[in-house]
Amino acid sequence: MKGNGEIRIGFYICHCGSNIAGVIDVERVAEYAGTLPGVVVSRDYKYMCSDPGQDLLRQDIAEHRLNRIVVASCSPLLHEQTFRRAAEAGGINPYFVQMVNIREHGTWVHDDAEYMTGKAMDLARAAALRVYAHQPLERKQVPIKPDVLVVGGGIAGIHAALTMADAGKHVYLVEREPTIGGHMAQFDKTFPTLDCAACILTPKMTAVRAHPNITLWTWSEVEKVDGFIGNYTVTVKRKARYVDEDLCVGCMECIEACVYKRGKFDDEFNVGLSKRKPVYIPFPQAVPPVPVIDAGNCLHLSKGKCKDTCVEICGDRKAINFEIEPEYQEIEVGAVVLATGFQPFDATRIPYYGYGKYPNVYTALELERLVNASGPTGGTVRLPDGRTPERVAIVHCVGSRDEHYNRWCSRVCCMYSLKLAHLVKEKTGAEVFNFYIDMRAPGKSMEEFYNRVSTEGVHLVRGRVADVYAEQTDEKKTNGQIGRVVIQAEDTLIGRIRKIPVDMLILSTGLQPQHDSEDIRRMFNISCSAGGFFLERHPKLAPVNTFTDGIFLAGTCQGPKDIPDTVAQAGAAASEALALIDRGVFELEPNTAYVLEEECSGCKSCIPLCPYTAIAFEEEKKKAEINEALCKGCGTCVASCPSGSIRQHLFEDEEIYREIHGLLAYA
Amino acid sequence: MLAGEEVIEQMWGVSLDRLYESAEGQRILSCIQCGTCAGACPYGEHMLYPPRRIITMLKAGLIEEVFDSDSLFKCVNCYTCMTKCPREIKLTEILLPLVKEQSAVRLEEMPAELQKAIENTYRYGNSYGESARKRAAWIDTIDVPIRILAKDPTPVDILWFVECDLSYHPRGQDAARATALLFHLLDLDFAILGPEERCAGDCGRLSWEPGLAEALVDYNLSIFEKYRFNRIVTNDPHALDAFKYRYPMFEFKYKTTATVPELHRHLDRLAPMLSRKLDYLVTYHDSCCLGRHNGFYDEPRALLEAIPGVRLVEMEHTRENSICCGGGGGGMWLDTWYKQQDIERLSDRRLREVIATGADVLAVACPYEVSRFEDAVKLAGYEDRIIVRDITELLVEALGGH
Ligand SMILES: Cc1cc2nc3c(=O)[nH]c(=O)nc-3n(C[C@H](O)[C@H](O)[C@H](O)COP(=O)(O)OP(=O)(O)OC[C@H]3O[C@@H](n4cnc5c(N)ncnc54)[C@H](O)[C@@H]3O)c2cc1C
Ligand code: SF4
Ligand code: SF4
Ligand code: SF4
Ligand code: SF4
Repeated sequence: MKGNGEIRIGFYICHCGSNIAGVIDVERVAEYAGTLPGVVVSRDYKYMCSDPGQDLLRQDIAEHRLNRIVVASCSPLLHEQTFRRAAEAGGINPYFVQMVNIREHGTWVHDDAEYMTGKAMDLARAAALRVYAHQPLERKQVPIKPDVLVVGGGIAGIHAALTMADAGKHVYLVEREPTIGGHMAQFDKTFPTLDCAACILTPKMTAVRAHPNITLWTWSEVEKVDGFIGNYTVTVKRKARYVDEDLCVGCMECIEACVYKRGKFDDEFNVGLSKRKPVYIPFPQAVPPVPVIDAGNCLHLSKGKCKDTCVEICGDRKAINFEIEPEYQEIEVGAVVLATGFQPFDATRIPYYGYGKYPNVYTALELERLVNASGPTGGTVRLPDGRTPERVAIVHCVGSRDEHYNRWCSRVCCMYSLKLAHLVKEKTGAEVFNFYIDMRAPGKSMEEFYNRVSTEGVHLVRGRVADVYAEQTDEKKTNGQIGRVVIQAEDTLIGRIRKIPVDMLILSTGLQPQHDSEDIRRMFNISCSAGGFFLERHPKLAPVNTFTDGIFLAGTCQGPKDIPDTVAQAGAAASEALALIDRGVFELEPNTAYVLEEECSGCKSCIPLCPYTAIAFEEEKKKAEINEALCKGCGTCVASCPSGSIRQHLFEDEEIYREIHGLLAYA
Repeated sequence: MLAGEEVIEQMWGVSLDRLYESAEGQRILSCIQCGTCAGACPYGEHMLYPPRRIITMLKAGLIEEVFDSDSLFKCVNCYTCMTKCPREIKLTEILLPLVKEQSAVRLEEMPAELQKAIENTYRYGNSYGESARKRAAWIDTIDVPIRILAKDPTPVDILWFVECDLSYHPRGQDAARATALLFHLLDLDFAILGPEERCAGDCGRLSWEPGLAEALVDYNLSIFEKYRFNRIVTNDPHALDAFKYRYPMFEFKYKTTATVPELHRHLDRLAPMLSRKLDYLVTYHDSCCLGRHNGFYDEPRALLEAIPGVRLVEMEHTRENSICCGGGGGGMWLDTWYKQQDIERLSDRRLREVIATGADVLAVACPYEVSRFEDAVKLAGYEDRIIVRDITELLVEALGGH
């Protein structure tokens, strides 16, 4: 064979206790395998994967000058690496090993001993014929760039960035809003402990800005991603802020000086509950503490005509600059942590909850702003007509657990609904009704929190709200007061329909993927789960990895979770990224596809087919070229190439034909 | 809303003892006992066993107790529970009719009005107990040529399935005449079955007698086979439901639509004909079958808005959240029974929302509704505040020169 000298195969069949030997007559298979061409040693053994089993391989390689190994045992997914390592330790190329799966594909699914013994022989023959043609292959190593990119500056991104920066890595943190902080920055208190969100978040935000290892780019978005594990080239668009971050001292005098004497445009941070000026800062503790100018509403930028009072007051600091253009920065990073978070369900999609129809129907996020001491009302909960509500209802599961909207449980809304119940009660003394389907309080201290809020006298009604409508009153609308809305639901525990008129209704909207999560998914070449959240490589064993090496997930972009879990996951993502980067190099599996350059006609048909975008067109040579670092060896291109000019290591035509031949050769 | 043949196949085939053999039946097992169905039901507070409890009883093996109650006689097939159920359980389509049938069998005494309606439909093909021969009598009261297929069986584009209320009820006949005139002016190629037509049977299947429903399906199918036409148009949303969701189980293959969406298709030609200004404030009542079950919310409103002068105002409950007039599921013939139980009729409840809008005209698109609401108006003494009109009647009123 191709100058490999004499082929000497060792065949091993594993008993796997009684898993295999309980059905298959392993001795007969071993005896049969011994008669196959090239097989010089054939054995059965109790546990091939055990240390003595591996020793057996090594000894035989030395003693019998074996240069090919076939192990008939479990799935290669489990032990291919084990036996390759053993072969390597014995002194032969690890790719001279072929496995035969007679457990998952055999004894676990068949109980007919005779049939299975025959099938094992067929598979053994195919493997022995195949391994005959194996070529030595080499694992290549690619160096890994030392820097990291974190996309999204919510609590997940902040925590991941700080962890990696503290470990000495240079981190680029890209956030599309003018400030970092994410949703957590909007809350007053956080369940289950009711600690003040700002008190625990803002120190971390400032730490990000102060950290010498973090480059913080707010008001920025990732535009383009090229490359592969360890070697990503990322283009970041820094949107025009019109206030120079280097020159601004954060005095906020420009906001004061703006020709608009008071806010006129919806304040995004306060979810529209207040108005801001065209030059603004989302909230006083924003990081960076640099205002941003909203080009659509700024008179200078949109109309070209303004007294420029902001520029005037900024004076010598010269931080305001209307000439600033969007800037594109290209960075090279070894790993990426995606932490783009969630967006709340749009409550207008359920018309019978009356959001947008009645002024006293709020979303939970709006309430978070209302109860917040630094919110639009300074933390007092008032109705739009200025009154303090006397009765408040909170509806759980809005848009969640519902086949019409989002199927999943949003996990945090039961607890934040209880939190809001507590806060509303505390601030207004109102009677509060929580309408829930199931009270979900898993996790540390959550049940205790549930217990605490129940004993505070919140009415917990088990029933999903079925209808919300204006209370019909006889008197005509009374001096501008907002009428009550009636909450109609079955109280399933007493089996009665309840109609409870309330002054204020709060909708606990669920968590769903960001509106542009599909774009991000495509850009980073990862997958999404059914609902659109980013998909982890394994739900239990690789929860922060993706199917693309070097891209990690943190926080709610992967699925709904609370702050404690978000932070834990962010830490995990950071340490996975660190582990990768600190290794310095990445080993590539050699079973990749390669193009036979002379034969490639340059038809480009393989390029769009590759699911990993590993194939590029080499313009000069007019040939397709496969990047081994990106190729996962799926074989799609190999099968598709019309001129047969793509081949794949470990899946060479000869190897496959021999295997088929072996399979079909049963007597 | 329902879509696709899949579901249709699921529906008739399902029986209570083989409920979990079909996917739609199995879905019942996914109920999370949230109570949305009960809370949303217009008669939920009067049911000992609203849908949620039916499901628990069924799962607990206690369904017999549910059969013994009259809870489901208060179900008006309004599809509200089904539309809002977060598990998309086909309550109104599958579970409730099956339970209702059993309850009907065990009822000590069938409410008299309903009993009469069933008997009449068996005997005469209409609940009024009118002779089949008189079914097309109304066409002599209008100056529009209307072809009856038995007399002239040449192929036709639209088979207009007039249904009982439009054929026999005096206020229904107003809508029949209006529809005929509009079809005529729009130059549609249509014909009717006349004396050969019988009740389509939708409410029959859903509310009481599956046997009767099947007999009507068989009969109407045998008549359809006699003629060549492209599609069916009907004023009665219940008939639309029957044809769209139930007849296909029996090899029925015709495209069917309701008069409102059919007229809406021709709105560009119809609008210029509407030259007479009607200075009305109109509120539109969404029929359950047309709206919740078939998704026609915008079409009726667009027709009304095409009338010069008409201003639309919405009721507290509209579109998918509209409240039933109480006529569905046999409710049409249970008014006395409800009264005996001291339950407010839904048409009376709904009228309060109508009045609250301050509208002059209540527009409807289902033949049950004209008579039900006119009755409610009379009872409440609102004759001088509100009039009830079928959309077709309003369109004809706006025709001006024609
Ligand atoms: C009403 C409400 C109350 C809650 N209360 C609590 C509570 O009391 N306790 C608790 O533990 N949890 C609570 N939660 C849950 C908590 O909000 C989340 O666990 C937490 O915010 C998740 O953080 P994150 O960083 O994953 O996402 P986010 O907070 O959503 O942050 C994501 C960040 O990424 C940015 N971003 C998104 N896309 C891009 C992009 N393409 N490019 C750049 N940047 C991008 C966003 O602007 C944002 O800053 C509550 C949730 C809600 C809705
Ligand atoms: S956490 Fe609670 S409120 Fe939120 S979806 Fe789950 S069950 Fe509903
Ligand atoms: S084998 Fe698969 S992953 Fe590799 S280049 Fe071909 S198509 Fe892409
Ligand atoms: S609405 Fe649906 S899920 Fe909820 S109790 Fe009724 S049937 Fe069950
Ligand atoms: S269909 Fe209507 S009346 Fe019948 S149970 Fe459902 S909501 Fe109630």
